[in-house]
Amino acid sequence: MPKHQYAMVMDLNKCLGCQTCTIACKKLWTDRDGTGYMYWNNVETRPGLGYPRQWDRIGGGWKDGALQPSPLPTMDDYGYPWEYNYEQRLYEGKKQPVMPSPEPQSGCNWDEDVGGMNADENYFFYLPRICNHCTYPACLEACPRKAIYKREEDGIVVIDQDRCQGYRYCIKACPYKKIYFNEVTGKSEKCIFCYPRLEKGEVNACAAQCPGRLRFVGLLDDPQSPVHKLVLVHKIALPLFPEKGTQPNVFYVPPFNPPKRENYGKSILEDPRLPLDYLIYLFGPDVKDVITRLEGELRKAQEGGRSEVLQLLIGRDAETRYRIRPQLVQIQV
Amino acid sequence: METCRLPTVAMICLLLAVASWGQTTKSSAGQFLAVVGSSASADDLLNAGDAAWNAVPAKHVALNRTPPLYDTDEPATLEIPSVDVRLVRAGGKLLVQLTWRDATQDTTTLAKVPDTPPETRFRKIPTEAEDRFFDAAAVMFPAQSGTDAIAPALQMGDGEHPVEIYYWNATRGATVMQAQGRGTTRRTGQSFPANGIYRDGQWRVTLEIPDLSAGTTVAFAVWNGSQKDRDGRKYFSVWQVLK
Repeated sequence: MPKHQYAMVMDLNKCLGCQTCTIACKKLWTDRDGTGYMYWNNVETRPGLGYPRQWDRIGGGWKDGALQPSPLPTMDDYGYPWEYNYEQRLYEGKKQPVMPSPEPQSGCNWDEDVGGMNADENYFFYLPRICNHCTYPACLEACPRKAIYKREEDGIVVIDQDRCQGYRYCIKACPYKKIYFNEVTGKSEKCIFCYPRLEKGEVNACAAQCPGRLRFVGLLDDPQSPVHKLVLVHKIALPLFPEKGTQPNVFYVPPFNPPKRENYGKSILEDPRLPLDYLIYLFGPDVKDVITRLEGELRKAQEGGRSEVLQLLIGRDAETRYRIRPQLVQIQV
Repeated sequence: METCRLPTVAMICLLLAVASWGQTTKSSAGQFLAVVGSSASADDLLNAGDAAWNAVPAKHVALNRTPPLYDTDEPATLEIPSVDVRLVRAGGKLLVQLTWRDATQDTTTLAKVPDTPPETRFRKIPTEAEDRFFDAAAVMFPAQSGTDAIAPALQMGDGEHPVEIYYWNATRGATVMQAQGRGTTRRTGQSFPANGIYRDGQWRVTLEIPDLSAGTTVAFAVWNGSQKDRDGRKYFSVWQVLK
């Protein structure tokens, strides 16, 4: 087990689906040959197809201590990155309009804002996703090359590009489908939790750029870190698909109080616009308790009291939301 | 000396193969492989058409299919039951030609990556597909030539008996690897001359490997991309002995 564990909490109530995190990540890490289709960070609409399509239903993860089978997603599932014919239109005098090619078929938030229907009301929310840097990574277990390792000093899961042979067992094993194959290099890649930034005391690029300020970062085992407080003290953040058995270290504050039309103020539990079953599907049965706790905190604040939880969740300053202390983590040289 | 060594090596190979793979579909004892001398240069032979090689006697080497290595593996069949091996010594090199039937040609031409760094280019080379695997073949032999009568473990050698693997991939080309047991294979960063031709449902792949002395053990492997073969998911022969 690692000595420390970096973790991230994302408050889904604050995500506006703007993909600024996606672009921050892409510009920093996946603007290279072979990486066009891959988004180490993506934001998808829930309920929805997800990226790659149906990743949550195709397999992987653990069951009774054994890895579960899964097909490899296809490029159609990820979405082939398209280009526009600017040259023809702008420089070669062709009359046709600027068009994407190949025909866009899928993408990292393809069914944006479609969501689902509950009675006569539409509902959806955004789910930002990165590698979960799991405590029991299925990808690590699946790799026959032992190319994947969990950094002892901070629990970040990375792929040794020298050892990787591009076998893609890791992609099959990951229940979140957050590893991507680069056909140009012949190796697999994934989110590195911006460890080079963390080592310099800077927060992850996706968190730094987030206009909704919904990401919290720190060591899960550091009592002063916001992630420790949200996950372990206040217990209002949950991992995605806990039944997959990998024990993610990315946690979500579930969407907890979207009012149904003309029912403002009612609890999601008594008059849910978001079907509770869907939240249980994503976050497990504990989501009900979390929503109850969150609503209690909200009520406390609405009645003039002070909620430490809400103060933390609306935290504006970087100091409130992040606690990156390279000195807390023993860096191995 | 070679005559008494063959049965020993063959027995060890057979035992290793049976013991380590458990459910070996089919096994064949190691056999002698004759090496034919040639006055042609290695380069000429590497690029020679079928005719030049047809005169070289071929040895039919049975292939085995590895059993499922992982619980989550898709099933695979013994589509490629054997490989024909031809060996020619030319210009201080050993040329190995492997011929096998494969109904599908699983290969592609990857776009050439420009020399300029990606950040200076507006367009990057795309990943065309991320779920395809390519046909491949390899020759394995002991890294330490010589006097040792014990052949390395068939599963990529062992700690005391490292192996060299000359691996050819239909898409990615040739690369030299070293290993000291299963899971230890690593690329040396070196390439070697190789040439693969697919015609009429058959691969004919010629590999130029260092000259090996008589008595050296060699083993062969073939991967079928359409069966998602990669890693130990492959067809393999037991050790054969050069005559």
